[in-house]
Amino acid sequence: MARVLFSISAMIFIGLLVVMVPHSSQMISPSPEASPSPAFDKAGIRILQARYKTLSKQLYQLMPHQPYILVDTARNHLYVKRQQEVVLEAVASTGSGTILDKPGDSNSQWVFDTPRGEFLVQSKLTNPAWVKPDWAFIEEGLMVPKNSSDRVEQGVLGEYALGFGKGYFIHGTLYTRMLGKNVTHGCIRLNDGDLKSVYQFARVGTPIMIF
Amino acid sequence: MSLCAILLLLFSFATTSWAGDIEAFPDLNLNDPSSLQEASRVLEEELKLAARPQTYILIDLVTRIIQIKGRGVELHRIPIATWTSKLLKDMKGIHRLIARPPVVRRKIDPTTTVEQEPISLADMPVDYTLSFTPPLTIDVAPSAGGSPLRWIVSSGKTWWRNLKNWGGSLLTDQSVTRGPHLQLAVSVEHAQSLAWSLVDGMSLVIRRPTDK
Repeated sequence: MARVLFSISAMIFIGLLVVMVPHSSQMISPSPEASPSPAFDKAGIRILQARYKTLSKQLYQLMPHQPYILVDTARNHLYVKRQQEVVLEAVASTGSGTILDKPGDSNSQWVFDTPRGEFLVQSKLTNPAWVKPDWAFIEEGLMVPKNSSDRVEQGVLGEYALGFGKGYFIHGTLYTRMLGKNVTHGCIRLNDGDLKSVYQFARVGTPIMIF
Repeated sequence: MSLCAILLLLFSFATTSWAGDIEAFPDLNLNDPSSLQEASRVLEEELKLAARPQTYILIDLVTRIIQIKGRGVELHRIPIATWTSKLLKDMKGIHRLIARPPVVRRKIDPTTTVEQEPISLADMPVDYTLSFTPPLTIDVAPSAGGSPLRWIVSSGKTWWRNLKNWGGSLLTDQSVTRGPHLQLAVSVEHAQSLAWSLVDGMSLVIRRPTDK
């Protein structure tokens, strides 16, 4: 018994030592003004500076130079930006993150997330109709209709819609009180006024950055 | 007409020169060769990422900022309170996130009329480990931020992790922590915001300080 207690005490003592001794860790400090290394003369530094400036310029050239749409799914905000200038800011609704089992397949689910990454405006629609996908019926406990015309619903997406691929749209909503919350099945909802402004700004090919 | 042409020419010179002066890292000491080399290395990696339609992460340990970026544009920034590292010299190149932190998702039940609560930032973890390939581990933990309780919990976790590593290395006769390791302390809100913004397979580049 005493031997076990001694072993445990020794383990704790050595463990404390491990924590106290800052082996290969490095504590932080912002880089101070460093003096030029003697290995580089003035010409060498100029070459490094030129390389750095060329690369900075190349990165700048990859940045979108036309207006782009930025969507913050965590805070449910949409921005239209021109370089770093915010041209328009709107409260949005994005994906709820909930899941729904696919019937007949216990291993497969729909995940209602707004996709993250970079997309492009692929289509611009006026007075869009919603062609309800299977999940819209299943989540309400309804049968999926066999006739495709039974899937069409008018007047629920607002006056405009911007498609950005795989069935995802920026569109309007009847549920404006839910704006600012994660309530959608992946699409991005806006109120009528903001939707009209975004529709007018955007062209087919306008980048949409979503994070 | 000719006045218009001259003005246009002057404007084009002005914009070219402005673009030419754009610097990716405004904090950079242009007289320090090591910092210049590190900044150029990061830019070379970032150019590969910014050339493709994707979002990626840049962890700038010099300015203590985590940036979510796309096409070279900063989309979101998260300040780092403190950081520590092991094998900092190996944190170069592009690392890819193996999996984002797990999120507890609520399931819709079509047989009831009760609506499921959507996930929100508050559902995101505040203390998690991110694994990357090539090997890199990043531990994200909430900074103490003046709270003694949080400091005790954070120190306890560090202590336990070090003890496990030490015990493991005794048993296997080799270090358990393989590859470089970065420990980031950020505020609770920023830890959750980072967890939210991550995507499986997301690319990461790290800018390292050169004064070590």
